Amino acid sequence: MTVLTRNNVVLSGNPGAPAMVFAHGFGCDQSMWRFVAPAFESTHRVVLFDHVGAGGSDLSAYAPQRYGSLDGYAQDVVQILEALELGPAVFVGHSVSAMIGALAAAQRPDLFDRLVLVGPSPRYIDDEGYRGGFSAAEIDELLETMDDNYLGWSAFIAPVIMGNPGRPELGEELTNSFCRTDPAIARRFARTTFLSDNRADLARVTTPALVLQCREDVIAPPEVGRYVHEHLATSELVLLDAVGHCPNLSAPDQVIDAISAYLSHVAARS
Amino acid sequence: MSPPGRSEAWDVAPVALLRLDEDGTIVDANRVLLEWVGRDAQEVLAGVRLSQLLSVGGRIYWETHLAPLLHMQGRVDEVAVELRGAGGRLPVLLSAVARTLDDDRRIVDVALSKATERSRYERELLAARTAAERSTDRLRALQATTAALSQGVGADGVARALVETALARLGASSAAVWVTAEDGTLVRRATAGSGWGGVEGATVPPDEPWAHGLHTQAHVLTTDPGEAVQVHASGVVVVALGAPAAPQGTLVLVPRADEADEPLDVGVLTAVGLQAGLALERARMFDQKASVAHELQIALLTTNLPPDDRFTVITEYRPGVQALEVGGDWYDAFLLDDDVLAVAVGDVVGRGLHAATAMGQLRSAVRAVAGPGVGPAELVTRLDRFVGQAGVGFMATLAYAEIDLTTGRVRYACAGHLPPLRFAAGGTHEFLWEGRSTPLGVHSVRVEATFDLDPQDLLMLYTDGLVERRGRPLLDGLEDLATAGAALRESSVSALVSGLLTHAGDERDDVCVLVVSWSPPDRP
Repeated sequence: MTVLTRNNVVLSGNPGAPAMVFAHGFGCDQSMWRFVAPAFESTHRVVLFDHVGAGGSDLSAYAPQRYGSLDGYAQDVVQILEALELGPAVFVGHSVSAMIGALAAAQRPDLFDRLVLVGPSPRYIDDEGYRGGFSAAEIDELLETMDDNYLGWSAFIAPVIMGNPGRPELGEELTNSFCRTDPAIARRFARTTFLSDNRADLARVTTPALVLQCREDVIAPPEVGRYVHEHLATSELVLLDAVGHCPNLSAPDQVIDAISAYLSHVAARS
Repeated sequence: MSPPGRSEAWDVAPVALLRLDEDGTIVDANRVLLEWVGRDAQEVLAGVRLSQLLSVGGRIYWETHLAPLLHMQGRVDEVAVELRGAGGRLPVLLSAVARTLDDDRRIVDVALSKATERSRYERELLAARTAAERSTDRLRALQATTAALSQGVGADGVARALVETALARLGASSAAVWVTAEDGTLVRRATAGSGWGGVEGATVPPDEPWAHGLHTQAHVLTTDPGEAVQVHASGVVVVALGAPAAPQGTLVLVPRADEADEPLDVGVLTAVGLQAGLALERARMFDQKASVAHELQIALLTTNLPPDDRFTVITEYRPGVQALEVGGDWYDAFLLDDDVLAVAVGDVVGRGLHAATAMGQLRSAVRAVAGPGVGPAELVTRLDRFVGQAGVGFMATLAYAEIDLTTGRVRYACAGHLPPLRFAAGGTHEFLWEGRSTPLGVHSVRVEATFDLDPQDLLMLYTDGLVERRGRPLLDGLEDLATAGAALRESSVSALVSGLLTHAGDERDDVCVLVVSWSPPDRP
């Protein structure tokens, strides 16, 4: 089992060009980038992968200890970049993967050229002088919902356990469709994600970064995006005219334009 | 032409119906939905997003799973979520289809159906599945523990197996086993993980942080004697090994601090404690038996030679690897009369106490039938008779030699035994292949041979455990022995044996070696 099969790494695009790595967030897999990644195939070596526990990754590689903190996921990113030997990469991370990329870049700046953080949040729970978007009670409710209550969460295995005699193909289709996640791992990943507090790590990141923020996002509200922008050493903030947490799906053109513009003017300046 | 009543159906359908714009904002909702969430149309249609009507879990799920899926595959079916209803959370099943209208607007049509009954049923299924998974996990942990404990040899082996299992299977970050000694004190026998100071064999040091607040009762560390598993205020878990009233010892566990880990399972720990108690009890009996066998063997191997300038005899015995498997190897050296030294090395077939007692009888028989003027061939003939009459030592092998201390002349016989090895002072060696006949009890004509020792020669008798290795021809083993023996004068017999046994592995048999040298008496 190599790192590349463990994380279901898929390469495409221009083999001689600089690397661009896309990391999916909580809840889905690399198919989250299907509307965005192809736009960079002519200019970059495009790298897609699944976090362990998601999509086509090796589920048996999931170790609760290792993945009990975002550091474990950051280690995986470092290992993937080391294994590919493509030189310093542009890392595009969505949602929790924005912070995973930041942690990896803080640890191994030599592997990263630029960071693009889509809907980043260093802490989801409100704190004194900080608004993360969720109260501690709400996250507790979420985790309790996930831990104790089958309903309200693990919808994708619902057809399997409930049975659906009328349409047996439905369960099959859903479980084999996009956003495949192992429910037990998803529960742990949610815990790791929503209880993390990586605010202090932002200052350790020296890699220049672009923060992409939707104007309305219940998971990572605009003030959180601004917080990330203000606490990174070198960053630019672009507010997208989009609603929701997944502009890479709901407004892919805006995301592509913002990344292209950032990469070209940063390149021109340097 | 629409069938009559179709427009009312929107409001009176048995499901809640909504239409969302591309962002997920509600642009239309039927009366059923308004009733379920306890709000009026004005409120709901004023820019509220569907995800805002869901519980936190549902909200995050919508944003991270459902909205992406609607973008990617255009529909989701029968997803279980919870509405924040007027009277608390309301479980519903959500189905949604995304489509593009004639005016190019992209919209999402959603239907929610009540799933209260279904969710109750599902919760029961889930509870049953969780219970089944839990008991499977418990069984696995217990099986692993039992398997590990059964591998442990002796009390130390059991203790080591237990701490290793605690880390691998029972959710501990570190663990220690304390075993009750004969005098009632607790002695530490094994640790795993960090944070344990001191060394194995220590008695309970009262200043260890985990020991704070624990009482050292006569037999066990405890917060509450009689409880099999106790969780101490510091988080340390103390498990009695064996019956809580009279335990064999104590397992001290520090649970892993990781949030993602399952908590320690008291039921499993109780069962592990009982298992380990039994294993320790067995181990104690084993240790006792093993030490009886070894003491017996060492007693049987004692030689009492008077100090004499004319010869030196050096012996070495190494037990086999398996502690209880006492072998049947022996050596002996005694004076036949004032001027003749007899030396013998033998090997009884089999292992264990039976072989050890047979070895003792045969060794005594050698002394009994030996005597001035008997000689090696006749001695072996008499031993054949003893083996036949006593029914002891059939197929045993023996190398026996009589050394005339005045002249250095050696008479020897080998009954099925490996040849004695002679190292000459000049550095050459010679295997003595003459005087050979069958093992004891197998009647044949017994023969003997003669040679002369030079002063400073070394004569070595040994058992097959020294040279026989699985997968290596015996002659190679003999050659290795001869090569290693060349250094014998500069080192010791003990070092020679250790060197030859270095690569013997786990299957090692026991080993006997006897080395004799002779010096001519000073002429007056």
